[in-house]
Formats: sequence, C-alpha cells, structure tokens
Amino acid sequence: MNFEPPKAKEIKAAFPQFQEVLFLNAGGFKAVYKIVASGGPEAFKIVHIPEVSGVDPDVGKEIRKESLGRIAREIKILNNCKSPEIVKLGSIQPAPVVVDNREYIAYSEEYLDGNSLRELIRQSIKPAEEDIRSLFLSLLKAIREIWSFNIIHRDIKPDNVMMLNRKDRRYVVLDLGIAYSAVDTPLTFDASHRLPPGTYRYLAPEMLQPGFRESIDFRSDIYAAALTVYEYAAGQHPLAKNKDDLITTLSRIVRESPPSLKAFRPDLSSTIIRTVDQMLKKIPALRPSNINMLINQLEGKI
Amino acid sequence: MKLYAQHGYGEGEKISQGLQKGIISGAVYGAKDINPDRLNERLGEIAAISPTAGRLFDPQYYVSLIGSDPNIRLGRLEEYPYFSIMRRSQLESNKLIEDELRKVIKYQVGLPVTAIISPNILISRSFDSVEAVIAKNFIRQAKEIYEEFSDKRPLYVTLAISREALIDFTELEAFLNDVTLLNSPPDGFYLLIGARSVEARTDLYNADVIAAWMLLNYSLKINGYQLINGYSDLISPFLGAAGGDIGCTGWWSNLRVFSMDRFAPEATGGRQPVQRYLSTKLLNRITFYELDALRRVIPDVVNELSMDSEYIGEPERAMEVLQSWEALSSLLTSLAVSGDSLKNLEKCADAIKLAGDLYTSIKARYRLDTKSDDSHLEALLEGMNLFKRRAEL
Repeated sequence: MNFEPPKAKEIKAAFPQFQEVLFLNAGGFKAVYKIVASGGPEAFKIVHIPEVSGVDPDVGKEIRKESLGRIAREIKILNNCKSPEIVKLGSIQPAPVVVDNREYIAYSEEYLDGNSLRELIRQSIKPAEEDIRSLFLSLLKAIREIWSFNIIHRDIKPDNVMMLNRKDRRYVVLDLGIAYSAVDTPLTFDASHRLPPGTYRYLAPEMLQPGFRESIDFRSDIYAAALTVYEYAAGQHPLAKNKDDLITTLSRIVRESPPSLKAFRPDLSSTIIRTVDQMLKKIPALRPSNINMLINQLEGKI
Repeated sequence: MKLYAQHGYGEGEKISQGLQKGIISGAVYGAKDINPDRLNERLGEIAAISPTAGRLFDPQYYVSLIGSDPNIRLGRLEEYPYFSIMRRSQLESNKLIEDELRKVIKYQVGLPVTAIISPNILISRSFDSVEAVIAKNFIRQAKEIYEEFSDKRPLYVTLAISREALIDFTELEAFLNDVTLLNSPPDGFYLLIGARSVEARTDLYNADVIAAWMLLNYSLKINGYQLINGYSDLISPFLGAAGGDIGCTGWWSNLRVFSMDRFAPEATGGRQPVQRYLSTKLLNRITFYELDALRRVIPDVVNELSMDSEYIGEPERAMEVLQSWEALSSLLTSLAVSGDSLKNLEKCADAIKLAGDLYTSIKARYRLDTKSDDSHLEALLEGMNLFKRRAEL
C-alpha cells in the first residue's frame, strides 16, 4: 500500500492561514511540512488513516483503530514530556482534515532547525568526542523521561534524532508514533502474527523473542540509543549491512556480537567506548539500566 | 575486592586478630552462633579495633522455612526477636513479607552495623517456582520498608540460591532481567550460593556454578549494585574479577561453603581436621604435612607472606584461618583490582595456568591428598570461559 503525500501547494490550499508551506519528508503514512503561521515556523504533520481493502471489514476497523490509538498516545506522551531532549507539540491540536479528498489527522510540533543524524551520517561527518558525549546524554535523558511514564520509545534511530543549530539544546528525539506503554492495553492488533513495529535494524534482540511484550522495558531503548551513538560515531551500523536481507540482519541482531566501537574510533575515551559496548549486550540484564549512574559517568561525576 | 570474615561457631580472637593484622576488612556475623547481647558487644568491640571495618549481620532468615524440621539445629537463632518458623504458603502474602522485612530490618537498625542485610528465603529448586516469586518480592519491597526507618546506612538484600537453581541459564537470565530493574533498588546484594552439603566441594567447584555465580556478580555490578559474596572462599577472586566487591570466608569448612546443612544435625565423633595452608599459587589449601614436604623441593608453593612464619613448625590451630585470610587477601589484591573485567580475567587465567604448571611439578614428586589436588583448576578455567561467553565478553 503506497502513500503519496500531498504536495505543499495542496496543503497551502487546504490551510490558507499558513503563510508558507515546505515539504520536509514522508514515511509510512505520515508526511511532515515546515509551515509558517502567525506564531512562526512549525512542523506540520499529517497522518493518513487508510481504508484497508481486501480484508475482513472487522480487521480493517481494528487496523484503523490501532492507527488512531497510536496518534492519541503520541500526543499524550508529548504533552506529558517536559525534557528539552524531546520534541514539543506545536500550536495545532490534532484534528481530522481533508486534503485533496483524502482524510488525515493533522497536528503540529515545534520546528527544529537542524539536521537529522541520518543526514549527518550520510555526509560522512566524523563527530568529535564532545558531540558524541552530548548526543549520548541527550538520548539517555530522553529515555529516562519517557520511561518515567512507563513508555518505551521503540524507534530510536539516527532518522529520529535531530542535531540543532544551537548550543544550549543540541540533540532532540522525535517521533513517538510507535511508542509502547508498559502499563496500558496494547494497541497492536493481532500482535502474534506481526514483527514488532519499529525499524528492524534497530530492534533490540529481546524484541525478536516470542512473547517479548510481557517483559519489554526501557532497556530496548537503551540498546537502540547505543546503536544510534555507535552509528553516528563510526559512520556505520555495527551489525546491519546494506547487502543483507531482513532475515540475515535479524539473525545478526540475535546472534552476532557487534565489534567494539574502539575498532572504528580508537580516539574516543574508554568511558564512551565501554558504555556503548555494554549497552549493546544481547541480554537486557547485561545492559546498564541505572540511567542516572550512566549520566553521571558520562558527565565525569563518578 | 575486599575480604570479610564469615562468622560462625568458635570465634575466639580470630576476627579481632584478622582486623588487627589488616588481613580482613570486616566481618559478617551469623545469628546462629552468637546470642543477641554478645552480638551487640562484638560489633562494638570490632568498631573499637578498626573503626573503618565493615560490620554486618546475616539474620539467617532463610532458615525460617526449614525451622519446623524436628532435627533442625537453630542454635542462637531462636533468641532473636524477629525469628519465627514459617510455612512457604504464609509468605505467598505480600503483606506478611512486608511485616517480616520490617521486623528483621528494625532489629538491625538498632545494631552498630555498618550496613543492613534484609532477609530472604532460599530459592532451592528453580527460578521458575513459587519460592523465586517470594524471593523476588522480598527483594522488591526491602528498600521501601527500609526507608520507613530513615536510616542512612546502605541496604543489602539477601539473594540466596541453590546451585541447582543457579545452573539453569535460561531461567537465570530471565531472573536477572527482573531483579536488575527494581523500582526501589537497594544499595547492593548479599549473595549466597547453596551447595547440597558443606562437604560437597564439587557442588560449587563446577564450571556451570562458577560461571553463573560470576554472571550474577557481573550483571548486578553493571547495574550499579554493591556485591557481598557470602561463603565465597577461594572462588572470591573470580567473583571479584567479574565485579564483586566483597568476598567472605571463615575458619570451618561450613563457613567456606554455604549450605542449609549447617542447620542440620551434626555428625558426632569426628576428628579435628588436619591443619591446612592456603597456597596462593596453587589456588588451593594443602595440608601442613604436604607443605612441609614440598617447601624445600618446590618452594613456589610458599606464599612468602608474613603468616608463613607460623608454619615453620606445626602451626597453632588458631593461626590457620589467619594464614588463609592473609593468602586470600593477597589473591584478591592481585587478581581483582581494576574495574576492567577482561583484564582481571586475564590475570585469573594466568593464575590458573601457573597453578597447573606447579601441580605438574608436584605430581612428578609427590602424591597429594584429594582435597589438595588440582581438580578445582579445570572447573575454574571452564567456569571462567563459560562466564565470558555468557557475559558476551
């Protein structure tokens, strides 16, 4: 099922109050635009809730319900989170809209001026130790805040982390669209027959075990954060290879130990290398889970 | 890694002397072998001898569940106000667990100890059992109950596991995933690994047991906990290499191996055991007679530490434990120093290799007693390698 995002001019036509509309990116059933409204620039997001054809109408209804539930959960989390390391909601509250005869849910987030880590990795930037440390701390603080609401982000990856063009707020985590609540009723419809949502290259090994939802916790985010830091620092993912298919990558995630970050960045401090390597362990109990202790270590306080 | 005395029957001056000589850093008193008044006095005396020494009290709550056995030997344990005989089904109630924690912690808060050890039961069969659920509840609730007392001393929670339960790696992994994620984490754990009998040396000198015990230390340390290994004796350096902070051992064989048979009827009519010498290079104890025979032909068996002078003639019995503590402390200092597990493990592997070479030299000239032989080395080496694989090192 392909999703063709509306063009900027279609958004402008549907929302004449926007002074400017610029298409930024799209993925899944979501598209993001930079808009300028009366209060300044914002990131305007529209999410298409597709009518599922060719399946039992009840199944289609459940899938639609799941999609709407995910948006509601993301909005609720963003409303709760106050940490500067997590993107903030904008001025446009979620509401159904129609653009070019298609139904969407639209809302806005703050506009973040900068680049995603993915873009920086593509540019083969070799970040300095201080940048890596700053990213690491931001990810840990974001995970700590999200988990304080018993939520797991589940999609931490270079595409969902922005480096901003300002020094007082350097890295920000985006996109809680597939966040998982450890305490609420699961949203995923017919979970037993589907891979967990998320980008498979960044799935923690335990998420590939049957029945993982019973025991999943923020240590899956710790793992994905370490992968993100690793990829940013080394310029490459430690386990996934571009030539590999899905099964090969998943098999590597479950079975293969990643090479130490030291192999690619021997110039980095032992604290950074040791912490990244430890957070990439396959067994959650072998990953450090005391986030405050990790933050203190990275800040050189202990 | 530091060494603490594991207290038991017949303390005499042993702990005081160990502290005065600086060869132990503290002591863990056990309720069974000291009455409450004397315990209070001894803790005070120890503080006077060495103000920085660790002073701990093992409430031995795990005996509660076997207390109804008509043959049980509770010793002084019955004199402690928190102690009562329990049935497992009673402890399926969370409310009762809270009450039991409160009683035991309250008692210790009133003692001049340097840290509190919260109670627990022994996980005797499997991590997938009612016992394990009860044990986890004791662990989860300990800190919250302790906070009611507004005491600032560190809290260690007891985690007592039989070797049978410990060696199921899949269950251990799931258990560790649970206990490394606590809402109210304590400062550390007091780990006890139970053998079937204090004489069953191979129960603990077993690769699966050593690997799992090391993994417990490693995983809990990674997660920020302090770790005291009760009755760890000569396995201590390996546990220290994996992340353990404190190892413990005492003067009798039942203070060097943790087993519930300490509380079972004692066989009568036994002879005093032959005095032994802990050789750091053999990673084992040999009899005084063996030492005497070997020291001239294979001088490497001698530690060259100060307590060696007590072994020129037949040593006084009270000297045996001091020699043991001194040798073990020396091993801990050389094998479990840095926070880098891999470096520590390399040192441990070198020590095992050296011990193997020394045993080869000995075998060419002398036949050792079975307790003195090299059977422990294979288990240590295999256990260490198995641990490295499981810890993804």
